[in-house]
Amino acid sequence: MAELIALYVCGLIALFAAVRTVVEPDPYRKLPYLNVMNFAVAGLIVLVLVHPLSILAAAAYFVGSTLEANAIASARAAVMGDD
Amino acid sequence: MLADYIQIPIAAALCWILFVTVDIVFRLPEKGGVKGAAAIGRKIGEDGGALPGGTMMGNIVSSPDASAGTLLAACGVYVAGLPGGLAAAAIVFIGNRICHDPGYAGTTGAVLASFLVSGFVVLGFAPENFIAGMVIAILTIQGLSHPYASRLLARIWGWRS
Repeated sequence: MAELIALYVCGLIALFAAVRTVVEPDPYRKLPYLNVMNFAVAGLIVLVLVHPLSILAAAAYFVGSTLEANAIASARAAVMGDD
Repeated sequence: MLADYIQIPIAAALCWILFVTVDIVFRLPEKGGVKGAAAIGRKIGEDGGALPGGTMMGNIVSSPDASAGTLLAACGVYVAGLPGGLAAAAIVFIGNRICHDPGYAGTTGAVLASFLVSGFVVLGFAPENFIAGMVIAILTIQGLSHPYASRLLARIWGWRS
């Protein structure tokens, strides 16, 4: 029962953050919303796949998505001269 | 044992306090670790927020910090107990290095969170409630209102510095 509630909480927050990422007009301010979605999806991976190795999958997803957000923000800052 | 709808808010509050404390102790609001983090902080500052809080939010986006450490440690404890949480701390450290960050905040947060979650599991909490709690905690910082969240973080940073 507890894992079902946690699953719904993570799923709803992932959906909410995804919608906010889409409707936010500023490209920099999209990224914190995307970050919330990544947290929720990393949690969902572990809650759906209950196995000791699923922590590797969640960490790989989370670190990869963080690196992408880092690359998008830094590339944009360098190209647009925002640094 | 407490009901889940009571456990989740308690877990969220504990995770919030843990990751904000560790991030502030490791001086995340001071400066952007990478150009992108500084740019996100400046944008949040321009849009009515506070610059130190915005910089900390930019740093959270750009590299796995104590919040990511807390989430992955809770996930690790959920699937494999305390050793799983400590394995997650090692993975967070590697992730920090990939993201060009010294990695002390993330690793410290993950180790502390492993012991916190394991301790509360002994007291009768379900570890999955800490996963949901950490997702709620990060939602309150990054996903509800950037101006208010950054001002709150800047106020806590003011006490630290």
